[in-house]
Amino acid sequence: MESALSPVRAAQHRARSNYRTRQIVNRVMLALCGLAALIAVIPLVWILGYVVQRGVGALSLDFFTQLPTPVGVPGGGILNAIVGSAIVVGIACAISIPVSLTAAFYVYARPNTLLGTLIRFSTDVLSGVPSIIMGIFAYTVFVLTQGHFSALSGGFALAIIMTPIVLRTTEEMLKLVPKTLRDGSLALGAADWRTALNVLLPAAMSGVITGIMLGIARVAGEAAPMLFTAFGNPFFSTALDQPIATLPHQIYVYAISPYRDWQDKAWATALVLIALVMGLEIIARGVASWQERKLRGR
Amino acid sequence: MFKSSGLIALLMMAFALFAAACAPTAAPTSAPVVQTVVVKETAAPQVITATPGAPAPASGSLAMNGAGATFPFPLYSKWFYDYAFVDPTVKFNYQSIGSGGGIAQITAKTVDFGASDAILNDEQLAKAAGIQMFPTVAGAEVLAYNLLGEDGKPITALLKLPYTATADIFLGKITKWNDPILQQANPDIKLPAKDIIVVHRSDGSGTTYIFTDYLSKVSPEWKEKVGNATSVKWPTGLGGKGNEGVSGLVSQNDGAIGYVELAYALTNKLPYGIPQNKAGEYVDVGKTPEGVQQAMSDFGANLGDKLAISIVDAPGKNSYPIAGYTYLLNYMNQEDCTKGKKFVEFFKWALTEGTKDATDLKYVPLPDDVKQQVLGKLDKMTCKGNPL
Repeated sequence: MESALSPVRAAQHRARSNYRTRQIVNRVMLALCGLAALIAVIPLVWILGYVVQRGVGALSLDFFTQLPTPVGVPGGGILNAIVGSAIVVGIACAISIPVSLTAAFYVYARPNTLLGTLIRFSTDVLSGVPSIIMGIFAYTVFVLTQGHFSALSGGFALAIIMTPIVLRTTEEMLKLVPKTLRDGSLALGAADWRTALNVLLPAAMSGVITGIMLGIARVAGEAAPMLFTAFGNPFFSTALDQPIATLPHQIYVYAISPYRDWQDKAWATALVLIALVMGLEIIARGVASWQERKLRGR
Repeated sequence: MFKSSGLIALLMMAFALFAAACAPTAAPTSAPVVQTVVVKETAAPQVITATPGAPAPASGSLAMNGAGATFPFPLYSKWFYDYAFVDPTVKFNYQSIGSGGGIAQITAKTVDFGASDAILNDEQLAKAAGIQMFPTVAGAEVLAYNLLGEDGKPITALLKLPYTATADIFLGKITKWNDPILQQANPDIKLPAKDIIVVHRSDGSGTTYIFTDYLSKVSPEWKEKVGNATSVKWPTGLGGKGNEGVSGLVSQNDGAIGYVELAYALTNKLPYGIPQNKAGEYVDVGKTPEGVQQAMSDFGANLGDKLAISIVDAPGKNSYPIAGYTYLLNYMNQEDCTKGKKFVEFFKWALTEGTKDATDLKYVPLPDDVKQQVLGKLDKMTCKGNPL
């Protein structure tokens, strides 16, 4: 019967069965990709679920409005650590963001100069240095010279960790802006700084904000550099030149204790930290997409 | 490409962006010339709303920062919490960074006082001229274990360890639970023929210092081969970080034994063993903490000027053999008179009213003779050469 088919029909038949195999292969591959995606998401869901499960029991309004209590004293919260983390991360932002954004513009505008290469090389190296080294550095620069631990030294340590992240993302985002935009702006007679400020930055804004958020999320969870800089403080403090509590450090203090009560609080504190970082992330995404829509609307 | 004016504009823009990105809710307006640190400081409390009526405003009160030993941390945090009500003008902030860290920080004078479980050696004393060790309380260590009997049920009885047995276990000389030495001392327990898994601390710690001090006293072989330090080269066994690391390894391994602080064993309800003391008695320190007080008294007369002495392997009949003081460290001559005065005031409170907190948390307060010596030393503290 095979020979009875015309060559055209035979070719059609081959094509159809070929198509079917390809469809099957396609489905299998898609399923595998989906499985891989699922596997990638499992740790996140697992961690979140576990932290919620362990931490939610110790949460209450007091947990957000009270100061830590010692073992055996019921109640107590982490107000000092929430405020402390905000202050220390704020200091880190204040130091890091101006520096890394301006540096990123420089590297973008003059990538092949000596300074540009140097900045890129050193940020690459810096981003690979363990965070505790930054803590020791800040300890040597600030704590030893000033003679006391302080919120400022903690913020400084975090700023060094944050800078390479923000700098490199900003640079990458600027590179993604179509060159024609920049050329157009310059052709219309706008100065370089005006082009950067009014054309490049708005176009890259959502990516830049993402970079900043990544940086904040990274440093907000750092406990190691806090040990010898921000130091920790069971009392409420907003003084920049005094030791201050931070969320990751509070988790550390609670977690290594032998007491069940404190260990539960460690989980609850971890939950608060994750929620704050995620909340910040969501806000930033919202701001970024709003910015983008505004830009498109014009 | 960029002109210098462009860079300045960029800098200003970046400051403004910081305000927008870092504190989206706060939106501090205009004036990017203002130091951003200040902007953030005012912005931060706005992020967390509803703080009015928050307890204990720290402003205006003196901050005393201290750091050191982990072992007394639960007690010190209770003491300093309570003392903030006794004297609201001063806030003691204590961070448990380890004995070694405490010694280093008070030597570098980055803290107002230090804390250590280990006795400072001559080199450390020389580096921090004028430093004084003040014992606050003492604590005991026990040998937490995890053992399933031959019937498959966990053994939870108090395990008696003959005088040199602990050292022999940690030297790797006693390797089986049903070793005749152990079985004879515990006739009521049917010990299985399992391997002993030794667990020790992997990090440097005052707990290890006291434990190896004890082993060196009871076993010349230990003293010669391993010695006494905050961390040593262990002949055998697994290492865990901190008390929780050791107890974690113990509870995960059938046949494991490791040294932990008494408070830790009691609060976590771990079965434990106790060593025989020098007089041949077994003192269950979990039930009778006086055993530690007795050990302090055994050596109480010999504290000397240093106010520091090892109290392991005490000779008394009712003395518990693995125990040690924990110390606060400070300079006899203070540079800041107010801080010096507050330190002495606190210490006197801790040695009198603070003893209740200590017993509640399974620490052992100083016996009277030792307390008098500490108080006498505190009275000799000076400020810039003058009495406080």
